[in-house]
Amino acid sequence: MTTAPTPRGELAPDDPAFAPEATVRVDDVSVWYGQKVALSELSCSFGPGVTGLLGPNGAGKTTLMRSMTGLVPVNQGSILVEGRNPRRDRRVHGRMALVPEDEAVPSGLTARQFVRYIADLHRVDTREAPDAALSTVGLLDVADRRVDGFSKGMRQRTKIAAALVIGPQVLVLDEPLNGADPVQRLHLIDLFKQLGRQGRTVIVSSHVLSEVERLAERVIVLIHGRLAAAGGHRAIRDAMDDRPRHVLVRSTGSRQLASALVVLEGVAGVTVDGPRDGLVVQTLHARQLAVELPRVARDRDVRLLEVRALDDSLESLFRELVR
Amino acid sequence: MSAPVDAPARAPLGRPSSRTRPPLLAIFLYTLRSCIPPRRWAAVIAACAGTVLFGLLARATFRNEASGFANVASEGIFGLMMPIATLIIGDAVLGAEVRAGTFHFSWRSPVSTWQLVVGRWLGGSLVALVTIVPATALSALVAGVPDAAGPALAASAVGSVAYVAIFVAIGCISRRTAVWALAFVFLIERLLGTALTGIAQLSPTWESRAIFVGLVDFDVPDRLIREGIPQGTGAIVRLLVVSVVALVVATWRMGHLRLGGASD
Repeated sequence: MTTAPTPRGELAPDDPAFAPEATVRVDDVSVWYGQKVALSELSCSFGPGVTGLLGPNGAGKTTLMRSMTGLVPVNQGSILVEGRNPRRDRRVHGRMALVPEDEAVPSGLTARQFVRYIADLHRVDTREAPDAALSTVGLLDVADRRVDGFSKGMRQRTKIAAALVIGPQVLVLDEPLNGADPVQRLHLIDLFKQLGRQGRTVIVSSHVLSEVERLAERVIVLIHGRLAAAGGHRAIRDAMDDRPRHVLVRSTGSRQLASALVVLEGVAGVTVDGPRDGLVVQTLHARQLAVELPRVARDRDVRLLEVRALDDSLESLFRELVR
Repeated sequence: MSAPVDAPARAPLGRPSSRTRPPLLAIFLYTLRSCIPPRRWAAVIAACAGTVLFGLLARATFRNEASGFANVASEGIFGLMMPIATLIIGDAVLGAEVRAGTFHFSWRSPVSTWQLVVGRWLGGSLVALVTIVPATALSALVAGVPDAAGPALAASAVGSVAYVAIFVAIGCISRRTAVWALAFVFLIERLLGTALTGIAQLSPTWESRAIFVGLVDFDVPDRLIREGIPQGTGAIVRLLVVSVVALVVATWRMGHLRLGGASD
């Protein structure tokens, strides 16, 4: 796992930020909107298989994806897709598709008309391809309904069908599971994994670690437009688990519990939290605490009323990663 | 929901399938189907109704109907209704889609930028040709000057097509298409164009007027004849050149578009 971007032009072969057979290369890229820096000196690459792009809101995931697909120019550095600049060489768009996070879809078109339009632009055989793409995402039954009347999840799937219809070698998906119900999620996750297994480069952004874990073998973490970490999702998860965490424990016997917890291995400190009427336990091993706490409470004949991580949001974990 | 299947196979690049529509036709049809929502149609039709009402105004107000219609057409139709109608159409075919965050679906394709521009322009032009253009001819008939219908038709057709090209170009330059288009019509054409012949020579409003004045076979008030501007077919050629230049500028800018989302 890495926490430092590789300097421009220096590609370390064992650096987890770089894929061995890169199809998309991001080299020292910075993008800013006025005074706001969206991406800062970012270097990484993406290759065949599914790669998760993880980060809290505002981390720069969408800007990176828009830059990769040529929609937003980079202010510094370069992005190459299969060796071509997506801003200058329009042939890139014949090999690459984006499913944006935006709900916006063209008005007045049915799902079939929309997917057929994309197929026409890409000169794909329109006899079967649009229906096959709509069938893949489970929308064939409603193919003649207008897209602007669809729910959020159905719009998302229509956009995925429009991306699939061109048979892209590089598929960029910005929060593709937003709005999808659990069954659809499973189906889409299977689909993306299958595309990755076919040797396509699939890049999926999310701010939910567990979602990315199910999807991607490799994860790139962005924070404040910078590369914060990269590698397998287990390494990312372990890195997050090894950071000190604060857990609020409310019980019927705070004092007895405090004396028992403070001697546990991995507990860095216990403080009494008056306003919350409980204990705040600082631990280096949250999983271990989760196992030990019920045992300790039972041994001390204390009833647990509430156990809650105070800094368990993804953003706080990300902050720990870059501290 | 069906089980996952392989992503659909695609035709190899550069070898279009016989089942595909040519991209230019696909963009043209898309523009007609998707870019003009009902509210825009209503606004364009309202402008058309206004155009016809100007014909009635000419008939009701002026003793000499031909001269009266020439006055009303120059000021009210070519100077007001035609720019408004084409602004609504021209903004819809590109600027509104860029703002809505849906234009990237078209932009992110291997289709060349000139096809994106020309397809949109053709779609917008067709909408203008079936709305504001016949409304202008109808206005001449309503005014009781049937001889002016042909020249009015020609002038509004060429003027509308030029306006749509200019507004498409503005849509490629700025996200605030409507604001800049209004500034173009009222500040540059109306204000500066009145004072400077050089600007009037490039203005769809002034050149449409010149087409109309040059093609009618009755005497028009002297104040409608502007020195230094070609009339009749000369003005048609001038506006066609303006349209081509606007489309070239739009094509060049299309490659430099920065396409953020709808919320940007």
